[in-house]
Amino acid sequence: MNHDGTGIPGVALPGAPAPKDTPLVELRRAGKSYGNVRALYGVDLVVRAGRVTCVLGDNGAGKSTLIKIISGLHRHTEGDFLVDGRPVRFGTPRDALDQGIAAVYQDLATVPLMPVWRNFFLGSELTRGRRPLRRLDIPRMKETADRELRRMGIVLDDLEQPVGTLSGGQRQCVAIARAVHFGARVLILDEPTAALGVKQSGVVLKYIAAARERGLGVVFITHNPHHAYMVGDHFSVLRLGTLELSAERCDTTLDQLTDHMAGGAELATLKHELSQVHGVDLDAVPEGLGDTFPEGTT
Amino acid sequence: MSGGGRTVGAPPAPAPGAGPRDGRTTRRPPALRLLARPEVGVFLGAVAVLVFFLIAAPAVRQGGSMATVLYQSSTIGIMALPVALLMIGGEFDLSCGVAVITSALTASMLSYQLTLNVWTGVLAALAASLAVGALNGWMVVRTGLPSFLVTLGTFLILQGVNLAVTKLVTGNVATDDVSDMDGFGQAKKVFASSFDVAGVQVRITVLWWLVFAALATWVLLRTRYGNWIFAVGGDQDSARAVGVPVRFTKITLFMLVGLGAWFVGMHNLFSFDTVQSGEGVGNELIYIAAAVIGGCLLTGGYGSAIGSLFGAFMFGMVNQGIVYAGWNPDWFKAFLGVMLLGAVLINLWVRRTATRR
Amino acid sequence: MDRSSRSGSRTSVPLVAVVAAAALALTGCSSGHGGKKAEQAEANAAAGKADTPRMTVALVTHQAPGDTFWDTVRKGAEAAAAKDNIKLVYSADPNAGNQANLVQNAVDQKVDGIAVTLAKPDALKSVLARAERAHIPVVGLNSGLADWKRLGLLEFFGQDESVAGEAFGRKLNTAGAEKVVCVVHEQGNVGLTQRCDGLRKTFEGTTETLYVNGADMPSVRATITAKLKQDTSIDTVVTLGAPFAATAVRSVDDAGSKAKVATFDLNKDLVTAVRDGSVEFAVDQQPYLQGYLAVDALWLYKYNGNYSGGGVAPVLTGPAFVDRSDVGEVAGFAAKGTR
Repeated sequence: MNHDGTGIPGVALPGAPAPKDTPLVELRRAGKSYGNVRALYGVDLVVRAGRVTCVLGDNGAGKSTLIKIISGLHRHTEGDFLVDGRPVRFGTPRDALDQGIAAVYQDLATVPLMPVWRNFFLGSELTRGRRPLRRLDIPRMKETADRELRRMGIVLDDLEQPVGTLSGGQRQCVAIARAVHFGARVLILDEPTAALGVKQSGVVLKYIAAARERGLGVVFITHNPHHAYMVGDHFSVLRLGTLELSAERCDTTLDQLTDHMAGGAELATLKHELSQVHGVDLDAVPEGLGDTFPEGTT
Repeated sequence: MSGGGRTVGAPPAPAPGAGPRDGRTTRRPPALRLLARPEVGVFLGAVAVLVFFLIAAPAVRQGGSMATVLYQSSTIGIMALPVALLMIGGEFDLSCGVAVITSALTASMLSYQLTLNVWTGVLAALAASLAVGALNGWMVVRTGLPSFLVTLGTFLILQGVNLAVTKLVTGNVATDDVSDMDGFGQAKKVFASSFDVAGVQVRITVLWWLVFAALATWVLLRTRYGNWIFAVGGDQDSARAVGVPVRFTKITLFMLVGLGAWFVGMHNLFSFDTVQSGEGVGNELIYIAAAVIGGCLLTGGYGSAIGSLFGAFMFGMVNQGIVYAGWNPDWFKAFLGVMLLGAVLINLWVRRTATRR
Repeated sequence: MDRSSRSGSRTSVPLVAVVAAAALALTGCSSGHGGKKAEQAEANAAAGKADTPRMTVALVTHQAPGDTFWDTVRKGAEAAAAKDNIKLVYSADPNAGNQANLVQNAVDQKVDGIAVTLAKPDALKSVLARAERAHIPVVGLNSGLADWKRLGLLEFFGQDESVAGEAFGRKLNTAGAEKVVCVVHEQGNVGLTQRCDGLRKTFEGTTETLYVNGADMPSVRATITAKLKQDTSIDTVVTLGAPFAATAVRSVDDAGSKAKVATFDLNKDLVTAVRDGSVEFAVDQQPYLQGYLAVDALWLYKYNGNYSGGGVAPVLTGPAFVDRSDVGEVAGFAAKGTR
């Protein structure tokens, strides 16, 4: 794999370190306040190589804040943030990238008007020649982009086409392929399936699985427990800025996950009340109804 | 997001995202792909305007006339280049018209008042122009305010400072004649001389203009910095997230505009010996117009440097062509407007045709 | 990715420029010719000063920022103010509505006198009536020869633009011109149009009009060049402002034309041009005199009840022609920026 200088010594290769080793990324009682607003507090999170850690939560649960801390966009204000067991404070996303932590954002993944190959190498362009004549090595960039995209199963007939003309799933995949190519050990995916249809979501989930196979630590942020359960090894559910649940795959079921997502105990009470008042069939209550249930009905 | 697109999903071994080439996919013919380049529309427009005036105004057919057209185009075009880069980078600079005069005033007054070699003034003006650009850029990235507002402020400030300082220093509103000072002849050679091409006197700004256009195009399309320009204009947050130095890119873009203003300012000074402090107002819109006609998107992230060359040429050609054609000058501005609008429409039509799927 | 080298050059480029400029300045690349040292203008002889109580006069013009002409008007006004122990408040706006506000402002301040230009007389009608009600004497200058009496002004100092244009036309006739182009640097300006129209009226040859963008000298230069190439029979270029005459001389050169240049208004660079023959002549409306007389008249009115022209006739300050034969007389004054 070509790391082009951004690679980190000791990159986790497929099948390399066992999950018991030092986690790639660890948060201990971490939190973030914006002035008086406590957006996140007391969060523990562990990301290991070759594992998918799912972070679930409803809108406003603190998922975005969490991802921004790990990817270096914001600094945490409480608790500890460790990379390879060493405490860190990132100032910019570049710092995080230099540590092999790459974020793929839902909306910020790519620059729509730029061609695919330019997007692929954005911020880490390949060059040749010396200053002041140092210039982009376009043939190599195109060739590499094409090869890496094919390895992730994306075949484009025209790398010059603007990324904006790709489908949502493909754009996410370009961003993921890019992160993997540039030596990411930890891949943070912010709601990659949120805006996608069923088929496109499937595409992205397969890439997540592919990334895990290649030995990357993946943080998969989503509000869809079904998607999470399909690829996740560990599940952390955020609610109102703190952890509601943190469980290994073997310790939980999809139903439990859905329950916690929806607000757990609250939802159970709600279901109970509904069944008494209206005789609603419990199984017919849609999943994930949770606290968005219209108030007037009770 | 515009649908499924022209992509093919071919399954690799674990076959993620596999699927047969769907029915909506077609390859764009190469000709259409060429048309999709941002500068093609303006190129055709410029050719159309040129042909039109070659037919309508016999005087244009002389070589000397073309030199005049190119001269006017070059003084617009040299500024339109950095303005285009800045616009691709997603920002505006409304102060660039008066910044030209600020630069010329700085060089002229400093040399004259301190009785220094004019080259000292030239370098001081360069420093001042770059500083104004850096200040604009710094304020824009620092405050996050639209550059339209920030540079509207600097526009007014510079306009006032130009007048007030000139009045304060020289006691007049125009600077003193520097043509008999040391280094003037040399500087004039660099910034405001002419050379002979097949019996036609061509002004040196035309040459500089072409050199700068080639350089700007190379930087934009072939360097890492050029890639960043597209990225910060196209999606600043994405760019920052993948590690593009957004602030650095934007501030240097504003400084490039300062560099252009310095060059044109020096041309003004060494071409006319004195500088009127009230000049330059309104030219910023001409530069921006040339960039937009040249295929730059007002919202940033898309455009071309070479396109602004054709845009400036079109402006100069129409401007002078109307005079060469001897049309009623009362209608001058109206003609100019119609021609420009026509050019923009051609541009738009070409782009639509090229990107239609 | 070599971050270090990039961030290094980021700071070093502007730094190098600044250091280079500073170094050059410090090593003192001084010029052997020209410059301030050569100027060494003699200080104005200190005029005597009136011992009348201090009064305030507002001078409100329609000056566009940075116009050399108005600068001279203002200098005349300041000279008179200094001599007469007057506090001069100068304000200007080319927009008629804004100019009216400035006059209103002066009325509100209860100044002792107002001198105003009447470029768009009707816009000022109501504020001038208010000044009259407040018993503030108002004099006119520069523009408004046809309207000052109607608006109740005390007196008027200026040049009739049409008359100046007509005189210019006659002067061209005697010079033997046959085809002239009148270069208008601000489309829609009434005074400039009147100059061209006056010229057209008396000039026996053909007159053409050319509009140029007065805010952009390279454009002015190219446009005049284009016109001269388009019509090679043009033998005189007439500019309506002094800075444009110097540019027209360059255009004539560029176009390889034999046309002569003549102009309205005067400044110090033009004096040199008239002396070396590159500009044939200039017609001067004596802006310094306009500003000076207007302010002085208000002082005379307040302390001695005098008014020029008996309240019926204007005081004409032009047209005065300056050509090679008499340029020497004004050269010294022009160098000080007062002529």
